[in-house]
Amino acid sequence: MNAVHRPSEILETLERIGVTVAVTVPDGWLGEFLVRIEEAPWISLVRATHEEEALAISCGARLGGARTALVIQNVGLLSMGAGMVCLAQRYQFPLLILASYRGTPDDPVFYHVPKGRATEPVLRGLGLGYAVADRGRPIGPQVESAATYAEEGSCPFVLLLGREDVQW
Amino acid sequence: MVTGTPPTREAYYRAMAGTLPPETLVVTSLGNASYLWAVVRDRPENFYVEDAMGLALPLALGLAVARPDRQVVVVEGDGGMLMHMGGLITVGAAAPANLTVLLIQNGVHAASGGQALTNAGLDFAALGSAAGLKGARNIDTEDALAPALAEALGAPGPSFIALLTAPDLEVVVPPAGFDPVVTKRRFQDAIEAPRYVQTLFGGGRLEERQR
Repeated sequence: MNAVHRPSEILETLERIGVTVAVTVPDGWLGEFLVRIEEAPWISLVRATHEEEALAISCGARLGGARTALVIQNVGLLSMGAGMVCLAQRYQFPLLILASYRGTPDDPVFYHVPKGRATEPVLRGLGLGYAVADRGRPIGPQVESAATYAEEGSCPFVLLLGREDVQW
Repeated sequence: MVTGTPPTREAYYRAMAGTLPPETLVVTSLGNASYLWAVVRDRPENFYVEDAMGLALPLALGLAVARPDRQVVVVEGDGGMLMHMGGLITVGAAAPANLTVLLIQNGVHAASGGQALTNAGLDFAALGSAAGLKGARNIDTEDALAPALAEALGAPGPSFIALLTAPDLEVVVPPAGFDPVVTKRRFQDAIEAPRYVQTLFGGGRLEERQR
């Protein structure tokens, strides 16, 4: 049986559920994934300089009626706290956030580990809904559920992704 | 006419109100940037960014990307711009033709009481120009704003105009209390943004409104 290519499945899901704007600050795992987004005719990619800025761009695009995906490394979740609280949560923007989950036991790079340790406690501290992608299940439905949660809850939702999910 | 004292924010806002077409979408940053604009020209097409300092510009960028059919004007402060200077670079790179950036340059953090800016003397037009924004210029009279704004709206952007402004430290009381969710929904209704239909009602999708 051929294994499904999970990054492709994510892109197919984003297209199917009508995501038309992606905003990003890159990460090593995300490089080719972002190139594929950039080449896709059905979605616009905005490359931001900082994750808090990227969050605000996503809020603006959603304000205008576009369904968005914020594609970042988990470190960006640590650096966007003020914008998350004062803008995204205060104005109740439904945002799908796809974050590469660096610094886990599967990615024990010495400089990523501190970020990995802090990520989930920070998300809980911010009161953000989140899930860690289950590598034993197809990734497409997990992305769709995350997007649906964001919309139904009028709030941001974070899906933390492993290397196999996003590295092309 | 240059008098030696820069124009007030209100003088610029009056010029803006007299120049902007009614369908223009206006995003204003925190403090008096929003409160005074609500006094001068409160409309559903205004989106008031409370707090979230420095994020009015990137929010306006996202809006401009999502709605290329509408002109978007954002009013940001120099303190906010310095806090997220990268946003100016991203605007230049994304280059939405329908975005005009107005920068209130008053040299202080007015919303927090007038504390000194890290660098009050920056040439923001030069920064805007270097970032790739069109027609970037510094303006120091209210009379110069209307023609500059009309020019910016009449040509493909993104455009940039810095407005040398006298600090206004007294908090302006807006005509109504600001409720962020009400502001958002009022704005989205005004621009007929697609509405999310919940799964319970057979949705789970964005539904276009009749335009």
